[in-house]
Amino acid sequence: MEHWLYNISFAGHTLTFNLDTIFTMWFAMIVLLIFAIAATRKLSLVPGKLQAFCESIMHFFWNVMGSMNTAKQHVPLIASLFLFILFANLMGQLPLRIIHIKSGELASPTNDVNLTAAMAIIVLIYYVTAGIMKKGFKFFLHDFSFTGIVMALVELLEMVTRPLSLAIRLFANIFAGEILVTIALGACAYFAPLPIMLFEILVAFIQATVFMMLTIAYVSSATGEEH
Amino acid sequence: MEQLAQLGAGIAIGFGAVGAGLGIGFATKGLMDAVSRQPEVAGKAFGFFLLGAALSEACALYAFVIAFLLLNK
Repeated sequence: MEHWLYNISFAGHTLTFNLDTIFTMWFAMIVLLIFAIAATRKLSLVPGKLQAFCESIMHFFWNVMGSMNTAKQHVPLIASLFLFILFANLMGQLPLRIIHIKSGELASPTNDVNLTAAMAIIVLIYYVTAGIMKKGFKFFLHDFSFTGIVMALVELLEMVTRPLSLAIRLFANIFAGEILVTIALGACAYFAPLPIMLFEILVAFIQATVFMMLTIAYVSSATGEEH
Repeated sequence: MEQLAQLGAGIAIGFGAVGAGLGIGFATKGLMDAVSRQPEVAGKAFGFFLLGAALSEACALYAFVIAFLLLNK
């Protein structure tokens, strides 16, 4: 699965853009933005249908944060990550692939490792910043002893492995799902891909939940008392 | 060299699938134990089971990525 690459030379370097990922990512973001604006445009004390639906979504996030003992100030990051990943994963099952582009195809943007790596790095920056704001220098080294220094080194290593595993997990699940659907399409184009596509819808929900849960776990371990 | 890369891809995905299969099997065993002892926790336990199954399945997908990189060298 190649992407539609576009090269720009900039100050002696070559920047490569994956245009299909950018298109689908902006599509997902615009749909979410329109949904959010439409939901919050006319807020009233007695909620309408749309407002009640969105309030139930927010209650879901508050309940999850409450069950994981994390402060509610982190809800914006968690909620936007979950909604974006869920919508991006589900987009892979839309018939967007009918639209022909130069090379590659319009599918879910999370089948590009660059996007998932960018989200994982955002999570890394967020939880390190939250930990430093909460604890100061003690975030890196809680007590000056042998075990403290060894644990600090292990936590430094975790700052590399956590975003790596977050990025590869989401990317590989979606990518493997699309390859499975393609193989099933090659075997029999009519009914063979149907169960796999249903399974992919389940995987879209599960992977969005896994990304959200791990983000909450990292943030709460960075800001919590023991870490 | 090409054949060796294909062999390596096969070995990678095979051993990765062994680990993920064992992991999901143990997770299912735990779910069955929990539900047969306390049927009322079925809904809550199933959520945790899905989370654990997705996490252990990811290990097979790391192997899949390695296999794909080996094949598309």
